[in-house]
Amino acid sequence: MADTKIKVLVVDDFATMRRIVKNILRQLGYENIEEAEDGAQAYTKLKGGGFQFIVSDWNMPNMDGLELLKKVRSDPELKGLPVLMVTAEAEKEKVVEAIRAGVNNYVVKPFTAEILKEKIDRIFEKLNK
Amino acid sequence: MSDEMAEIITEFITEAEESLEHIDPLFVELEAKTYDREILNEIFRSMHTIKGAAGFLGFQNIVDVAHRSENILKKLRDGEMTVSTSLMDTILKSVDMIRLLLRHIKLNDGMEEDTSLLLRELDEALNVSQSSTAAETINTEALSSAATSAQDTADGFDINDIESIQANMHKETDKIEESVKSETVIQPLPSKSAVISAPEGSSGATAVKDVAQTLRVDVNRVDKVMDLTGEIVLVRNRLLNIANYLENKYSEDNHVENLLSTVSFLDLVTSDMQLAVMKMRMQPLKKVFGKFPRLVRDMAVSLDKDIELEISGEDTEVDRFVIEHIGDPMVHIIRNSIDHGIESMEERRRKGKSAKGRLSISAFQQGNQIVIDVSDDGKGIDVEKVKRKAVEKGIVTDEDTLRMTEENAINLIFMPGFSTADVATNLSGRGVGMDVVKTNILKLNGYVDVVTKKDAGSTFRISIPLTLAIVQALMVRIDQSQYAVPLAPIIETIKVDREDIGNVSGQKVLVVRGKVLPLFELTEILGFGDMGNSDYRYVLVIAIGERRFCIAVDDLLGQEEIVIKTIDGINTDESYVVGATITGEGKVVLILDLAGISRNVMTALKA
Repeated sequence: MADTKIKVLVVDDFATMRRIVKNILRQLGYENIEEAEDGAQAYTKLKGGGFQFIVSDWNMPNMDGLELLKKVRSDPELKGLPVLMVTAEAEKEKVVEAIRAGVNNYVVKPFTAEILKEKIDRIFEKLNK
Repeated sequence: MSDEMAEIITEFITEAEESLEHIDPLFVELEAKTYDREILNEIFRSMHTIKGAAGFLGFQNIVDVAHRSENILKKLRDGEMTVSTSLMDTILKSVDMIRLLLRHIKLNDGMEEDTSLLLRELDEALNVSQSSTAAETINTEALSSAATSAQDTADGFDINDIESIQANMHKETDKIEESVKSETVIQPLPSKSAVISAPEGSSGATAVKDVAQTLRVDVNRVDKVMDLTGEIVLVRNRLLNIANYLENKYSEDNHVENLLSTVSFLDLVTSDMQLAVMKMRMQPLKKVFGKFPRLVRDMAVSLDKDIELEISGEDTEVDRFVIEHIGDPMVHIIRNSIDHGIESMEERRRKGKSAKGRLSISAFQQGNQIVIDVSDDGKGIDVEKVKRKAVEKGIVTDEDTLRMTEENAINLIFMPGFSTADVATNLSGRGVGMDVVKTNILKLNGYVDVVTKKDAGSTFRISIPLTLAIVQALMVRIDQSQYAVPLAPIIETIKVDREDIGNVSGQKVLVVRGKVLPLFELTEILGFGDMGNSDYRYVLVIAIGERRFCIAVDDLLGQEEIVIKTIDGINTDESYVVGATITGEGKVVLILDLAGISRNVMTALKA
């Protein structure tokens, strides 16, 4: 069971999606959630510190989710941060790339609270080992 | 449905509509360029995002349409399909369908759209491309099998760590690379192998853009603030009045001095606040103009005309109310220009013009007015034809037309019941004439003018005041009553003697700076009848568009900032009153509708 006190960053360019993801996270007990509109904004926020988990969309303007992931992994301060990538069916073939880049897990849209919980739990289970 | 859910759905609709609005002009740009990866990617992304959110909210019909067009867009983006007009039409149809589906959700009207035909069309468009590139199919399959196995591994419960997935992936990708290599003998596949080649690093669009800090606020809340600001303005006006009175009466008193400085500070703050609230309601015209490339494109295609659209000044900001109400009249003018203004390609060639017609839309701020021009380089408006038509329709008599200036004759197109097209096309001649355009713009306190030249084209110029709720007004007295006259159309005020006023065939006139202008008495206009003995000492010189005229008043009482309050139950068209306001003295005063007066008295003058 993951700690629900952690500070989560939800990254998506579509405000409705951020809200939906936030809503689901809240259902799971996460309260400390911040948002970013794209990878670039997310990176700036992450550099500000304090985040323990990232839920990021893939397709975004300026800096997409994959680029953000790569940037996080190559940043000495941030490289250990767990990243959950939100993808769509159409991006399935690209998952290969995300895994190579070091994503911790991914979830296909649309997903339910149960699915998200399972994914998050698995990520933290592995991290805490 | 929970409130939270209802809110999310509302937000989704707004955001999705905005997304669609944003990509609309991109389609037109794309059609001109045939291929542009950036544009295609942007359109793809919008479709993709809408689909994603719609999936969460259970709007399966939107998902179905968006998913299919997304697939086509992806192929276009990756160069596996090429842009054609018919393909573009199909995708545009899906954009329209999504828009329609969104509207049903918004209205909650329970209506259903039959998407089956469109879905089939989209499927067919996609299939055509797939059968044409067989080699590509093989690779996609190989890739997706790799992805599936990757997913299986990731989803399985027996994952030890991410390393094993990666190792697995390497094996898979090696396999694919091999298969790609064996394929290359037959056909080189540069773009597809790029997918599985080494990561490109974080090259490309890593430029960190300034992220605008914005906040979505319910329009009603902003309007409420606007209303309250209006009230504060009125209270401030009253306070200023009282303070001035006290200053005269108790000029020695220290407290009065304090009151004065406090009130003048309040005055300053109120003005700033008013400006800030006004700005809060301002939005760029882009919101409206964004729809035009698509409109022009669709019309040009259906009329078989070649039209280049030029838009400038779309960043000009106007009040939200203007944004909401300027679209329809503009669409009407644009339709008219394309349908009746710009000639067919053969006709243009015959005239020695370039076959491609030009339509330009520009907006700019001029003083406290926003000016929007819609110009075409078409055949211009045929004045004689307009006159004939107006006589035929019984709007004016033959005799009238002889006395008319060319400008006045052209303005007949704005008269109710007028339509120039001999045969109503299904595009612009829908029974709504230019009179509706004029009425709609008048509702914004604006006016529309037209300048036209045979075979050179026409320009429709729309002028709208910058702000609608709070205006500078001149307070005037006529007989025993006080009126507020919006300041913007007043060019000057002149003190006159009765003998300065001339008479030309029954119409009172005044010579102002060498020009003879008609002069009206408000008592007449407002239907009080001629008081006869009022010795109007002042004249307001008014300019509405190209028209100039004078209004005689008894006294000028001063300038005041007024808040327009509409009056329910009065017909502004007939009463020449746009609303009422409360003055600094606390009196209720009617605000005169100069545009309405101009329209009616000037038309009466001509007839």
